[in-house]
Amino acid sequence: MQQKVALPSVDLLLELGVLLVRVTLRPFRVSDVDDFMLWAGDEQVTRTIRWKTITSKKEALTFIKEVCIPHLFCRSICIDDRSIGFVLVIRWSGGDRHKADIGYGVASKYWGQGIATKAVKMVISEVFKDFPDLLRLQAFTVVENIASQRVLEKAGFTREGLLRKYTFLKGQLKDSVIYSLSSTDSNGAVDDEV
Amino acid sequence: MEADGKQGQEGSPELSLRPLDLSDIDDFMVWATDDKVSRFCTWDTYTSKEAGIDYIKNIVIPHPWFKAICLDNKAIGAISVSANNGNDRCRGELGYALASKYWGKGIVTRAVKMVASTIFNEWPHLERLEALVDVENGGSQRVLEKVGFHREGVLRKFCILKGRCRDMVIYSLLSTDPQP
Repeated sequence: MQQKVALPSVDLLLELGVLLVRVTLRPFRVSDVDDFMLWAGDEQVTRTIRWKTITSKKEALTFIKEVCIPHLFCRSICIDDRSIGFVLVIRWSGGDRHKADIGYGVASKYWGQGIATKAVKMVISEVFKDFPDLLRLQAFTVVENIASQRVLEKAGFTREGLLRKYTFLKGQLKDSVIYSLSSTDSNGAVDDEV
Repeated sequence: MEADGKQGQEGSPELSLRPLDLSDIDDFMVWATDDKVSRFCTWDTYTSKEAGIDYIKNIVIPHPWFKAICLDNKAIGAISVSANNGNDRCRGELGYALASKYWGKGIVTRAVKMVASTIFNEWPHLERLEALVDVENGGSQRVLEKVGFHREGVLRKFCILKGRCRDMVIYSLLSTDPQP
């Protein structure tokens, strides 16, 4: 007797972490606007990043066209080619061009699945290859953002210290934790997931 | 703006901080031409008086906070606090240099204490005075520790100094920390 097998639901796949194999990075497109608004308009996501919370489709389009697309290194984190977040790398200039900062954000619906960690690992491989004079990739998190600190630790970053009253984020003075990955650290940290 | 000179034990010379100007050029050249002094600094040893004059005119005089460290009003070094904008306006970075003849007498420690005791009043928006020191510059690390700065960590491959990528120790003193 043959039994019909139901295909797993997206929710079940989410629970199994199977989504990780379908995480891809690509440049943003204007057509991402509706998906973009879902997470860039969510205060839970924008609270700990420098991006202003998006409040309209017009703002979203402007931001995608004027910030995301022209950026030297800004990628959409996608599942099945749909945008669920971003990761970007900002290079310093002049005498500091051996350094770059990494930042990221993921739709809250997808938190806790290792997606940001996966995206960061994918960026590490690409960015040290594309920028051979890059020696230091660094990241700042506010001290209370434990989840983001775990992303960096899982991705192989070294926690260097707590910088007291370091910066204003959304108008509040924050203690920041600084992390770094050096070009020599990253030689082992190649993303080996397909 | 001058910080009052502080007398140490009886007989020690009067230390003061005052603006550095073009009339200090010959004294400036004493430490600016010394490789021992420039070794851990971002600037290269000066080789001409013209370059020194340009530096005082274009960098020192317009600087938001740059003072000569003076013994009996003679400039023997310099100390400065840089300002930042926007989200980083709460931070200022401390830098200093002293003619090598005067090293080992606690002069920079006294100068840093003088800066720490006035800068937060002069700049009410300043929350954090920070300093970056090469991992090999033990003398400068000891100065900051004696003044009460907190050693927060080592930033790997943070600065390019004299063509080499250096690990730097980061220190901070907050406006709310006990006054030195």
